[in-house]
Amino acid sequence: MKSVKTDELQIKRASDAALASLLNLTILPVISFIALLLIHRKTQADTIDHYHAVLGVKINVIAAVVLFLVSALMILLGGFDSPWTWVYVISYFTIVHTIFIVFALWALVRAWSGDRLWS
Amino acid sequence: MKYESQSIAKLYFIAAIGLFVGQILFGVILGLQYVIGDFLFPEIPFNVARMVHTNLLIVWLLFGFMGAAYFLVPEESERELYAPWLAKLMFWIFLVAGALTILGYLLVPYATLAEITMNDLLPTMGREFLEQPTITKIGIVVVLLAFIFNIGMTILTGRKTVITLVLLTGLVGLAVFFLFSFYNPHNLVLDKYFWWFVVHLWVEGVWELIMASLLAYVLIKVTGVDREVIEKWLYIIIAMALISGIIGTGHHFFWIGAPDYWQWLGSVFSALEPIPFFMMTLFAFNVVNKRRRDHPNKAATLWALGTAVMAFLGAGVWGFLHTLAPVNFYTHGTQITAAHGHMAFYGAYVMVVLTIISYSMPIMRGREAANARAQVVEMWSFWLMTVSMVFITLFLTGAGILQVYLQRYSEDPMSFMATQEKVEIFYWMREGAGLIFLIGLILYIISFFVKGEDVKMLGSSVSIEETS
Amino acid sequence: MRETFTKGMARNIYYGGSVFFFLVFIGLTVDTVQTLPKTDNRENLTEEVVAGKRLWEHNNCIGCHTLLGEGAYFAPELGNVYTRFGESTEAIKGFIKSRPVDGIPGRRSMPQFNFTDQELEEIAQFLKYADGIKVARDWPPNIQG
Ligand code: HEM
Ligand code: HEM
Ligand SMILES: [Fe+2]
Repeated sequence: MKSVKTDELQIKRASDAALASLLNLTILPVISFIALLLIHRKTQADTIDHYHAVLGVKINVIAAVVLFLVSALMILLGGFDSPWTWVYVISYFTIVHTIFIVFALWALVRAWSGDRLWS
Repeated sequence: MKYESQSIAKLYFIAAIGLFVGQILFGVILGLQYVIGDFLFPEIPFNVARMVHTNLLIVWLLFGFMGAAYFLVPEESERELYAPWLAKLMFWIFLVAGALTILGYLLVPYATLAEITMNDLLPTMGREFLEQPTITKIGIVVVLLAFIFNIGMTILTGRKTVITLVLLTGLVGLAVFFLFSFYNPHNLVLDKYFWWFVVHLWVEGVWELIMASLLAYVLIKVTGVDREVIEKWLYIIIAMALISGIIGTGHHFFWIGAPDYWQWLGSVFSALEPIPFFMMTLFAFNVVNKRRRDHPNKAATLWALGTAVMAFLGAGVWGFLHTLAPVNFYTHGTQITAAHGHMAFYGAYVMVVLTIISYSMPIMRGREAANARAQVVEMWSFWLMTVSMVFITLFLTGAGILQVYLQRYSEDPMSFMATQEKVEIFYWMREGAGLIFLIGLILYIISFFVKGEDVKMLGSSVSIEETS
Repeated sequence: MRETFTKGMARNIYYGGSVFFFLVFIGLTVDTVQTLPKTDNRENLTEEVVAGKRLWEHNNCIGCHTLLGEGAYFAPELGNVYTRFGESTEAIKGFIKSRPVDGIPGRRSMPQFNFTDQELEEIAQFLKYADGIKVARDWPPNIQG
């Protein structure tokens, strides 16, 4: 076990990373992702802050692909002027986006308590 | 159960669940009328079925809130209810008045009901959600006042906690804003403007206080997390609710003839309205993660978490979807509105009432939690109802997007009725999801009768998997 | 939440914030009510229109239709029906009068309300008045409502 002090610092950093990840998914995209990468650089392997920074990067990269790539494909395949395209894109984007947000929320409270996602 | 008078809640909860069943049966009828237009016509026209559906919803939620208050207030205040007899009397008055009103809707034409209840003396009928005869509205006020008096006296003469004070504020607000239902000016714009003082300031204002306090109470009980922490969250959640929600009323003033500044005010403040719901999810996740004990009532914990998430989804996300004026210009009064209305009401208010019922019913029946098998059935009903509600919402959203495109957005707009035919497939799917919701509800009721061995709270952690 | 953020602070934000915004809301409401004469078409709020609004309410029309986008979504928007029907109250009256008593097989149908001629005129005048309300951006987006 490490000293209490570094633990606290790590939890703080893990929390910041999880928060940045959540913000990137909600009201502050891009900027928060840069912040997340900066936090990531400060962490060392096998620590809880590293874990949450990596998790945050993963969630956001996956979210970006799953949300934008798939939506773009839907528009490409369905056609911009077809109402059905928008039926799929809007419903899909809204619900899947929310699932990512809820997931990032859980990651945040786990970071607050200094835990990994599931223990 | 610490105080005997808490058990009055049971009456209220049983009535609530009974009326919930009625609401859903009429929902299924409405859904069918959407695709088979002449179903039950002219015996039960759509508007009558809709009135029954929405009014039953409101009435059973009120029964639920009252039951919740009667259960938790004595315990929080550390004393018996101020006047148990009054609570029982009001129960019967409310139930009979409610039943008569619904029967009135179903048995005589609405115009006749307006006539025999002498609506012309003080016209309040015939507005969405406020269809009740004036005499029923007066009855509701009387019941609410007696209820608030009873609860208020219990709180003020007992131990005061943040939870009971917030709850009381919410309940008083509920009663006060309901008074606007008696104001029905001839001027249509004024009528609409103040109509929202009941509807919006209820669901996006004072009801949020009720919801947050009920959620906080159950979370304290099932997680054992420190009250101080929970109270801080509670304050900040309701602060955000009112700060955003009061001026947020403006998102209903875009297209009813009100001044243009509401476009900005309504958009900006209502865009903040998801914050309290977002924080409720964060709060619920956080305290469950930091729980100090594993309460044997797993179902109640599931309902509590579900409430937070689904309220965020239905009110927060689906509300935000159409709340900005440039978007609302196209979506106003379409199936998008119906989609949001369903998930928000279900996720926030239906679920919070089911949460407190789930937590308190076993206690009122003399055990800490329902037996493991009953809980499994209850959790099945949770998933069936919740998932089918997500699908109802998605199908209505699909219908709404198509409707907006064909009828409002396209260069060559289609008529309303022609558009409705184009989106029929979504209505069929919604009806299918609705039937699954009904099955979930039946299962929910069955869960109260499933027998099995009691689950006890053993020191720190025992999971129902181990006992089952 | 951080320990530096106390329960007392949270409570003060709640009290301060809600009282402040509630007062602002009252102020805005007063202003709105004073500004409404410019848009709400009150000059055409005749006795006939008032009677029409009562009929609208007593027959629960809002249980199927929207009016300025509020109500039920089962039947067409009526806030602009006067325009849609070629600015003709006669057309509106004719439509209401001609609804079949037993509905239309398999399709949505409006009930037959058996209004008198006087009542038909009142309803039509009410809908004409509603159409005359000046709404931002002239909502709905097009004539189909
Ligand atoms: C639990 C909370 C909520 C409930 C129960 C709820 C319920 C409803 C219902 C039933 C309606 C339809 C009213 C009608 O019949 O005209 C409605 C409309 C609306 N709601 Fe909510 N709502 C909630 C929260 C929110 C939030 C947080 C937002 C914004 C972020 C929002 C935005 C809207 C908007 C913009 C409309 C108007 C739709 C239209 O123009 O047709 N709601 N809501
Ligand atoms: C079996 C499931 C259900 C079905 C098929 C159903 C169907 C419907 C239909 C067809 C309408 C009328 C929409 C219109 O005006 O055109 C409606 C309205 C409404 N229902 Fe349901 N419903 C169901 C369950 C529920 C539940 C569980 C709730 C509450 C949580 C609910 C709350 C409402 C509300 C608030 C409205 C008014 C919506 C608005 O004005 O925007 N319904 N429902
Ligand atoms: Fe609202």
